[in-house]
Amino acid sequence: MPVFPQKLLLVLLVTSIVPGCAPRSAAVPQAVADQSSANGPASPTDPVAKKEFQLGDLLAPFTPPALPELESNVTWIDRPVVDSIERLREQQSHGKPTGTVEQALAARNDSPDANDLICSVLGRLPESDAEIEKDATLVRHTAMDMKSSNPLMGSSVMEFDIATLTSVGLFSFDRDFQPFASADTVVSWQSSKDRLYDKVVMRDDLTWSDGRPITAHDVAFSFRVIMSRDVPIPAVRSGTDQLKDVHAYDDHTLVYFHKESLATNDWNVNFPIIPKHIYEKSIAEDPKLQVSDYHTKLENSPVVGGPFRIVERNFGKDVVLEARPEYYLHQGKQVRRPPHFKKVRFRIITEHSVALLAMKRGDIDEMILQPEQWQTQTKDADFHEKCTKAFGTEWVNFHFIWNCKSPYFSDKRVRQAMSYAFDHEEMLKTLLYGLYEPCNGIYHKSSVWAPPDGAPAYQQDLDKAEALLEEAGWADTDGDGILDREINGKLTPFHFTVLVPDIPDRIAICNLLRECLDQIGVKCDVRPLEFTVLTERGRTHAFDAMFAGLGTGTDPDSGENLWATGQERNYGNYSNMEVDRLYELGKREFDVKKRQEIYHQIHRLMYEDQPFTWLYFRNSYYAFSKDLRGYVFSPRGPYSYAPGFDSLWKHSAH
Amino acid sequence: MTTPIGKTPPSNDVGNPAPRSRGYFAEVWRQFRRRKLSLAALGFVLTLTAVALFSPAIVGTKPIVCKYQGRLYFPAMGYFYDKWENPVFMRDKFRRIYPKNLASKDPKSWAVWPLVYQDPYRRVRENEWEGRPANPSGDQGVPSQFNLFGTNQSGVDVFAQMVHGTRVALLVGVFSTGISALIGITIGSLAGYFRGWVDVVLSRLTEVVMSVPALVLILALISIFEKTSIWHVMAVLGATGWTGIARLTRGEFLRLREMEFVIGAQAMGAGWMRIIFSHVLPNALAPVLVPVSFGIASAILVESALSFLGFGSPPPNPSWGAVLNNGRSNLQMWWLVVFPGTAIFLTVLAYNLIGEGLQEATDPRLRNNEK
Repeated sequence: MPVFPQKLLLVLLVTSIVPGCAPRSAAVPQAVADQSSANGPASPTDPVAKKEFQLGDLLAPFTPPALPELESNVTWIDRPVVDSIERLREQQSHGKPTGTVEQALAARNDSPDANDLICSVLGRLPESDAEIEKDATLVRHTAMDMKSSNPLMGSSVMEFDIATLTSVGLFSFDRDFQPFASADTVVSWQSSKDRLYDKVVMRDDLTWSDGRPITAHDVAFSFRVIMSRDVPIPAVRSGTDQLKDVHAYDDHTLVYFHKESLATNDWNVNFPIIPKHIYEKSIAEDPKLQVSDYHTKLENSPVVGGPFRIVERNFGKDVVLEARPEYYLHQGKQVRRPPHFKKVRFRIITEHSVALLAMKRGDIDEMILQPEQWQTQTKDADFHEKCTKAFGTEWVNFHFIWNCKSPYFSDKRVRQAMSYAFDHEEMLKTLLYGLYEPCNGIYHKSSVWAPPDGAPAYQQDLDKAEALLEEAGWADTDGDGILDREINGKLTPFHFTVLVPDIPDRIAICNLLRECLDQIGVKCDVRPLEFTVLTERGRTHAFDAMFAGLGTGTDPDSGENLWATGQERNYGNYSNMEVDRLYELGKREFDVKKRQEIYHQIHRLMYEDQPFTWLYFRNSYYAFSKDLRGYVFSPRGPYSYAPGFDSLWKHSAH
Repeated sequence: MTTPIGKTPPSNDVGNPAPRSRGYFAEVWRQFRRRKLSLAALGFVLTLTAVALFSPAIVGTKPIVCKYQGRLYFPAMGYFYDKWENPVFMRDKFRRIYPKNLASKDPKSWAVWPLVYQDPYRRVRENEWEGRPANPSGDQGVPSQFNLFGTNQSGVDVFAQMVHGTRVALLVGVFSTGISALIGITIGSLAGYFRGWVDVVLSRLTEVVMSVPALVLILALISIFEKTSIWHVMAVLGATGWTGIARLTRGEFLRLREMEFVIGAQAMGAGWMRIIFSHVLPNALAPVLVPVSFGIASAILVESALSFLGFGSPPPNPSWGAVLNNGRSNLQMWWLVVFPGTAIFLTVLAYNLIGEGLQEATDPRLRNNEK
């Protein structure tokens, strides 16, 4: 199954993850176009003239060379085509489980050793198919509904989880973030020596759910749809826009033309694919892909190319997927491994406490546990009757974003003071139950991109915080107990608002910030906001401080979009010319050692600048049904990599 | 016996004048006092009012009064309004921890402390107060001698939140219903007194406002304003909750404006303002107090519901609904549900009982039925 890298994940809620980038499509011009079409033909000078939809209008004109010409000029290097399940099986063959299944199921997971036991025993692939429960249904928990079933429209974890199961893709990556072409869909993958071209030969036994073959033309068409101004692509355009063109030379041969020779090109070729024959005529009429009757029907019953298809969609309740036999059977012969489940049901339960009750009753097979649930509500026999739990290190970090253009936080000494003022220990031990790791910067310490001599995470030091604030010119000059400073000729008290998603544990952390700052004469109001409002405030930089979280990208360059000057998702307006230069350098460097050194340097510079006060890394804490097996954690959790979901299976009782 | 014209009729009991009849409100109070439950409810509400007024003296971490460097200060007033906590303590880096800092920075200082050393906004740490352990967090905060009603997941004392939350509950109830009463009585009086097109316009306005759901309006307001406070919530509750009072006042005015004393006042040339406010309104007021009392109960419930949903007074303002909200994620922490739930239940019940008592005391028909 394909896994899309989603570049970098912005996590403002545990359950709501907004990937990659904000929508860049021209929503307003589209609205104008709709209006003008209703009023008849418009003149060329008419400001509300309807613009004809042009597929791929964001692309510069380019004529791909003929294949023989390309072949004669390019030296190709073979790239890996991998069966991710086989790779995992091979990896698991080197290590033995640390106990028996009975021991693992009886373990309460109250220590790292117990967790190792559970993961090493229950996280294994089946020895044989006889172990797998036939026609099993997996019920996954989700706290949010799916907005769109079109993989190009995905913008949240729920949508990407479903796209992973229903979409066809050519590329994926393993839990060490090593990219490869999927053996399920690709015969061969070659890159040019200068890394300006990638050539892929697709398999000829792939079919859409309506029976039509999946071809290279679908891939080229999907690329053009993504690169069309009027199509509102929320996430997957980021990175894909670094491609010059994707050209299908025949039904199975594709060449990706890159704009530049970059170390990140391997990621830019990975985007979802939609069926050309379904959309090529309808897209001009409804470029939003969600408005016309035709597209609305497709939303509920999409034509898919992945191992599952959507068979039921009950808004606010569940989404049910069913395995497609035609995915793994071709002309009556098995050509791919069938999925381990006949059905996958995403059960929507917004309240985590209710989800835990459903988990204990056996109504769902897995869920993410909140720290409080892990520590206090899953230790009893009631939970362990049907469930077990496991955790793994995940590189999702949470932080306060300081708006560097705000009069309060433009000075790095003030930002450092905020980091020193905050009681990190109280947060980690009391509010987060001692479950999460402290965070000291943009990369996790176990990542090769983090400097090995990385500076330690900040500790509370109120004296130092006060000294830094004084150095930056903040003092209580009017004797009202609140620090102040003259800004634009006006005495301004240090009184700001921190925005936070309306989730109790996040609000508690912001309250702790308020409490800490109150001790040194800085006033901070805590303002919980609904997720979409919060994101919008971030996007428009309309805030002084904000609590947020970031998942990890598959490549360190994904941070450029967050921290380089003027970048779209640089919500905190951070700017450091040296960081900008290093990001430019990093993506052009192919030598891994040298590349690492570049990102180490970025990590150090940002530690010094503190555009964020980094707080903690949130690990994956999951509850699983005792029947479930094969969960293997990655820095992106147990699903968002390959094989990820594919390695899960249900143990047969017989 | 006949009396000649022009002569005053003889009195039957000369030198023993008839007792002065009770005023309307005195009669209502007399009737109200007969209802033991209503009276107990009134006592409960008065006690709550006292708790709200003296909350910083009951539980807190700031001295009620202290002598520091030769001067008297009242830091606990900071619980009412931040700036009332003298900035001298910020200047001297007390960092909101008084017991040890007072002793170390001025050995001659003394202080009168609240009855319970706990804080409604933060977790009390180890040895802040000599010999007092840190507040437990997570699900460990069961009620104990140090935390009478237990602590929430963050380790903040529930008793402190409950006591200081009384202020929020009563403020919301009284202020929002005060606004409702002001608007409702004014609109109802004008509609009932003038009738005609004034009545038509004001009655339609009342119906329009009735169709606006207060909760939705509050949620919209919270998203619009950069800084929403409990005062905004009160204003919206007040601005949307007046319709019942207006309709009742209108009805009373329609009835009373036909009475002889109003016709008499009109005949004597009294202006409409004088007639409304001096003659009609005092007679219409007692029945109007009934929905006011119910309105207070309803406002407390709405505020608690908003806080429960996470849209109430902005954090970390203590509120009963907010404590209840903490209990939602872990029902095993029963103290987060039982104490605020009971407080909300009893307070709403008390106001309803007062309302019911007033209804019975002001309506002779109900009194007769009772008999």
